[in-house]
Amino acid sequence: MNKLNYDGLLVLEQPFIKVPLEQLKKTAKVSQKELDKEFTKSNLTVSDLTNKINQGKIGVSDASTALEGMVGRLQSLKRKLNDTKVEEAMYVSRSKQRLSHLNELTHIPSANSEAYTQWSRVRLDRILVDYMLREGFSETALHLAKAESIEAYVDVELFSQARRVEQALQRFSCTEALRWCNDNKSNLRKMQSTFEFNLRLQEFIELIRAGKKSESIAYAKKNLNSFQENHMKEIQQAMTLLAFQPNTKCPPYKKLYDKSRWDALIAQFRADNFALNSLTSQPLLTVTLQAGLSALKTPMCSQPDNRNINCPVCSPDTLGLLAQNLPLSHHVNSTIVCRLSGEIIDEDNPPMSLPNGYVYSLKALEEMSSKNNGQIKCPRTEKVYDFKDLKKVFIS
Amino acid sequence: MDSISKEFSKVEKKQQEVADSTIDNIDKIINEIQEAQKRLETDPVSAGAILKELELKFKELTTKTLESHKELQKVIIRYEKIVDKKWKNDITIASNPEVFANKEKVLNTTVALHFIREGRFELANTFIREAQLDIPNTIQTQFHEMYQILGDIKLEKLEPAIEWARTKSKELEKRGSTLEFELHRQRYVQLLIDNRREEALVYAKKKFPLFHSRHIFDIKRLMCALAFSNRLSTSPYKDLLSPDLWIELQNKFMRDFCNLLGMSSESPLYISVTVGATALPTILKMATIMKEKKNEWSQQDELPVEVPLPDYMRYHSIFACPVSKEQSTEKNPPMMLPCGHVICHESLNKLSRGNSFQPF
Repeated sequence: MNKLNYDGLLVLEQPFIKVPLEQLKKTAKVSQKELDKEFTKSNLTVSDLTNKINQGKIGVSDASTALEGMVGRLQSLKRKLNDTKVEEAMYVSRSKQRLSHLNELTHIPSANSEAYTQWSRVRLDRILVDYMLREGFSETALHLAKAESIEAYVDVELFSQARRVEQALQRFSCTEALRWCNDNKSNLRKMQSTFEFNLRLQEFIELIRAGKKSESIAYAKKNLNSFQENHMKEIQQAMTLLAFQPNTKCPPYKKLYDKSRWDALIAQFRADNFALNSLTSQPLLTVTLQAGLSALKTPMCSQPDNRNINCPVCSPDTLGLLAQNLPLSHHVNSTIVCRLSGEIIDEDNPPMSLPNGYVYSLKALEEMSSKNNGQIKCPRTEKVYDFKDLKKVFIS
Repeated sequence: MDSISKEFSKVEKKQQEVADSTIDNIDKIINEIQEAQKRLETDPVSAGAILKELELKFKELTTKTLESHKELQKVIIRYEKIVDKKWKNDITIASNPEVFANKEKVLNTTVALHFIREGRFELANTFIREAQLDIPNTIQTQFHEMYQILGDIKLEKLEPAIEWARTKSKELEKRGSTLEFELHRQRYVQLLIDNRREEALVYAKKKFPLFHSRHIFDIKRLMCALAFSNRLSTSPYKDLLSPDLWIELQNKFMRDFCNLLGMSSESPLYISVTVGATALPTILKMATIMKEKKNEWSQQDELPVEVPLPDYMRYHSIFACPVSKEQSTEKNPPMMLPCGHVICHESLNKLSRGNSFQPF
């Protein structure tokens, strides 16, 4: 049990590696597109110029000015690429640091080593930063990342970008969100996301709410049209909204006017953004905690007499409360933990029963009796017995 | 992991290469254009030829740049493929948001307490403020005291720890802690090392008698060590100089301090998450199988399979009856037969139904 199951431990690290990879992929794609666009355009310009000058349609000075313009455009392309180069290099270096962090783990020999404890502590800090960022506690997240120098292990920028979109949605503005949709157009289409449609629909509803009927119709013509293939029914319903006042009691239209639609938009944005960036839909903290608490939970954790202060599930106000609705752990074999020493009882340190029925480990009882002239005091009943009254118990 | 690292190093190399060459190529293109411009000025008659030449050069350079850039994307995709092969499963099926629903405050409090007990007070305060938590100040004060004393022990300054142990003497003894004695022992050894023999003796006389009933053997050794005080490191008592004793003392102090506060010696959040990381593959497998049967693992009373735990993370005795293979409960407790073997109550009833039965 002290050997580490590396593959098993790495299961959790999916987003750790995939997030910077996804970002790198995206950046490379963007620069490819930029290059493609600019080069195609310039190529056309040059051949156009050649043709025109051969046909005598333009003069040498016109050609020179056109070339001048091209130089300007290429220079701005160069500047852009210089920026993406820095960005790419950042994701590469981040991936590198993360991979080497995971490689460190595979060189740790056992779960009992100090190295594993250290590694696990960093893992917990990473998981906590992820949790803080998702819950919007960005100050704490930054503080923690900085204090532990784990900035390369966490994705602060990604979340602060998302935060801006969310905040705009909270202010009932779709502008930032629509820009985000535009930036991620192809991936969102691949995911078959309905987010952009819902944003457009919301803007349309808000126009009607504000009483701008003709504007709303123009908006629908311009922006909802393109979604008719997949969303015809919703568009029809939305158009009917024009006939209803914002204070309508008619259920389907009351629902469309409902402000809680904005919360749904925020939730949808989060889900899509996480999926797009290979982040898990749930924070890693809840994933690991649910697994861990369930693996630790025993029927005894909720019995006040059997509480062990070292057991996480036994703390009734914190983790115990969180574990309330989780399954108990499953055990095929008995494990007896000595209440005196906290050690596991096995053949080398067999269980001994006191005449009152309480069982402790031989080692702990021997130690106690050697200090007390062969007498044993049961810590739970405070009764005193002779060492020779003990009886060996067989538990298989 | 190795194959991933290998594939990644290709990405790393390519990215550097391509980024540099792209910029270089754009520079070259700009040069070519400017060159053409100059030639147009000096030789306007052959403008057609100059531009044709530029067009060809241009095409060549741009195609080259685009192609090398495509290479980069190819390498990235190869790396992605191997990464996706390693991480196939969606781990979130192992977590059910319902289980922690409406418990955000409890979770946040747990996290804040974790920071406090690790001595990261500033961070804890940032978090308490940001998450608007209500945590009594006394907890911070207590852990502040602990870390202060601990800091002193690390500097081999024992007085504050000794003073603390003195005020808690009774409670410590009740828990069977040997901390107070060990602190005095360490102080005494310090005096010996400093070659302050007289003082060491006075110290021993003053402190050790309090502990004679529990530590007479240790006291005997310590007193004998006095005879070797000028060459302790080569004496039979050289174990008293071990730096491990200091580490042990620090750990013991932390453990006892936390225990007196009614808290575990290790952060419960750390334990739970560490166990969780180990347990995740098992839970994930189980969740996947159960999902196929439209069941949610977190809705069960008991996990269907065992999640192995390291010994030091087992906190409760578990009795699994060797006859029925079930875990004992309050209603079905383990029973000891006169021969010392233990089976659970229900099994005992079943076995005894046919008049007599033989123990194993």
